[in-house]
Amino acid sequence: MSASIFPIPMWEQSLTLFCVILAGTTLVCAGALAYFRRVRMERPPVGTFNTRDVVILLIFIGILPFVYGWLPDPFVTCVLAVTFASALYIGYRPLLGSVGIWLAIGLLFGLNIWSSHYVMGTIPGWQLWYTEQSIVVGLSAIAVCNLYLQGGMKLRHVAWLSLGLAAYDILFASYYPLTGRLIARYITHPLTPVMGMRFGEVDYAVGLGDLLVYSLFFVAAYKAYGARAARIAAVVIVVMGGFATAFIPFLFNFTNANLDILIPAQSLFGPVAFVTYLWMKRHYGRERTMAEYLASQGGTAAAPQVEQAPAPQPASI
Amino acid sequence: MFETGVRQFRLALGMTQGRRLNPGNVARLVDDVLATLAEFGEPGTDATELIDGPMADPAARHEVANRSLRRTARRLAAQSPFYARRFTSANIDPAKIDVAGIRAIPVTVKADLMERPGDFRCTDVPAYLATRTTGTTGRPAEVWLSRYEVELWPALGALASVLRGEMGPGDLMQVNLSSRGAVAMQLSATSCRLAGAGYRPLGIVPPEVALDGLAEGGATILLTVPSYLGELVVAARRAGLGANDFRLRRLVVGGEVLSASLAQAATRTFGVQHVDDPYSMTEVVPVTGRACSQAHQHHDLNVGLTELIDLDTGEPAAPGALGTLVITPYFPYRDCTPVFRYDTRDVARCLPDGSLRCELAGIPATSQILGKADQLLYLPGGEVVTPRQLIEAIESLPAEPWPARYRAAICDGRIRLTLPASAIAGYGEAEAGRHFAAAGLDVDLEIVGNDQAASLRRTRSDMHETTFGSQHALVGA
Repeated sequence: MSASIFPIPMWEQSLTLFCVILAGTTLVCAGALAYFRRVRMERPPVGTFNTRDVVILLIFIGILPFVYGWLPDPFVTCVLAVTFASALYIGYRPLLGSVGIWLAIGLLFGLNIWSSHYVMGTIPGWQLWYTEQSIVVGLSAIAVCNLYLQGGMKLRHVAWLSLGLAAYDILFASYYPLTGRLIARYITHPLTPVMGMRFGEVDYAVGLGDLLVYSLFFVAAYKAYGARAARIAAVVIVVMGGFATAFIPFLFNFTNANLDILIPAQSLFGPVAFVTYLWMKRHYGRERTMAEYLASQGGTAAAPQVEQAPAPQPASI
Repeated sequence: MFETGVRQFRLALGMTQGRRLNPGNVARLVDDVLATLAEFGEPGTDATELIDGPMADPAARHEVANRSLRRTARRLAAQSPFYARRFTSANIDPAKIDVAGIRAIPVTVKADLMERPGDFRCTDVPAYLATRTTGTTGRPAEVWLSRYEVELWPALGALASVLRGEMGPGDLMQVNLSSRGAVAMQLSATSCRLAGAGYRPLGIVPPEVALDGLAEGGATILLTVPSYLGELVVAARRAGLGANDFRLRRLVVGGEVLSASLAQAATRTFGVQHVDDPYSMTEVVPVTGRACSQAHQHHDLNVGLTELIDLDTGEPAAPGALGTLVITPYFPYRDCTPVFRYDTRDVARCLPDGSLRCELAGIPATSQILGKADQLLYLPGGEVVTPRQLIEAIESLPAEPWPARYRAAICDGRIRLTLPASAIAGYGEAEAGRHFAAAGLDVDLEIVGNDQAASLRRTRSDMHETTFGSQHALVGA
């Protein structure tokens, strides 16, 4: 969810929000791609991401706001801490080792909790808090993106997930504005799942979920069809996830100046991402498997040779 | 991926708690493995633990064995009339049994199984499929399986096979075993179905028919017995077929002794890396053994306990000594006609302590199977000659007499070895005598006509199955 807090001239607000989304998205997508190309995560002996996982994920995402809404804030912080710590541990243990990653997590979380309590009264304080927040959220998005994609998630799954999230966003941002209420309640607490910055009196932020979907779409397109498809995905992300999300309030003026506004970014991005996937599928054909991707990069795993067995000949009887 | 995790958890929980496993859950895990292989080309980290279990730690291994034995014994005491009597007469409390304590329970022999087959059948499960041993060593024994076993075993087998890359979509398995071997045929057919592989059950048909299936039929896996493999190699060479004529990637044999010379010839002729020679036996399925690159026989720890018992004392065989394999399949893997401490009479040598350096070193092992206990030859000096020694020596003769046809007996303190003339063709008796001496066998040779060859030693390849196209079928037509 993209949120801007406090009204200022709308064009300026939209432009700044666009820049914040663009910066955050660029950092996360580039980081996710770099990670995908260079780091191999451990995966379980058996299991690959499938369509049912998308459904389970959507159900989980659908239930989560109610759980957060029901839990007291300290419990929400605990849940978020476990979630972020898991993501960071899984994602960066291969790079930092067990001791290194726990030290890094302790440092990041410690700073974040400290700054949430002691430096929020000033704009530089807010900016420090957002910077820490953005580091945790950005690194987590990169890790989870790779966890899914290196676990076998395909562009097809990402497209369906985006479409599901579009419906989710419309429901929970417009008709039943639970997400906005949650953010309004929880913002300034440690480990708020947004990446953003404060300029002047206004906060500009992009949600962890949006960043995750953008990076999934971008890297999945790269894995499935290569660099050209990734560039097309990047354009879709910038136009629909960044520009449209930031400027739709300005163009249609549907903001309410008295409230924090929440722009349902996925409702704009999801359908276009899905159509883009359909176009890519039609244009480029079957997606590459992870094995085929690795083989194309000179990686270790060979592409699976799924030969069709010849029709058994009748025995001579 | 989430569902796969749940399935693995259910399987692990069932194995740990010793409850009946859900064959459908295992079958769906096979699908998950196939999807994993299609996406990644190989399974993920720790895949071997999923099939072999975390058995590297001897203490954990011992604990698992004790728990599994107690669970199995408790059920047998309640459901198997034969073992209820046996435990009572041995004054054994099934709830307190352990690996050391089971030596107080007499071994079960094949005669028990043949004399009172009904007493072995558990009363809490309906019998579904009967299978008989091939009876190559005497009268066949009948073993009944439940529907649960018939569904579970191939699912577990397929899971292990696809995880190890031994079978998968695109493979075509040709089976040249006796079609009456219901267990082997049923299990291999279902395993192939679950693994997405093709299946061609041919039976012990004329070798030329089988070669057609291997060459033009495009089989990638051959499952047969060593004696029939010998016939196939001979027939392939006679037909001028070589490695380029076949698509085989795996050769799997079992049920008889496979000699090194035949294995080498088969790999050259059919163009495979090696011949897999796993151990299995109808009476003790699903407990199996796997041969490693150093020719050890590694015994499955998850589904049963394998003891190597000294042939004379009945105590555990000492390092270097010969022993007979005594196997106890665990519940819930064996259900309908379970056996407890079944003496297979398959002889192996106990390996020296701490000698394993092979790729399966984490799994306990014995030597290769050396033959049946009642076919051992005892020389006056205390030396024991095993069937494997004889078969290895005979099958490495220059005439390549595969499968080995021989009769061996002790006469006046020496080995009298009877061979058909074809075995030493072009070699001469004296030269053959030197060949055996070089193999450590001081034998007196007796050469008989080739027409007597089949009567010297019966092999599983003798259980010919005729076809309308074969000459035998036309007799009496």
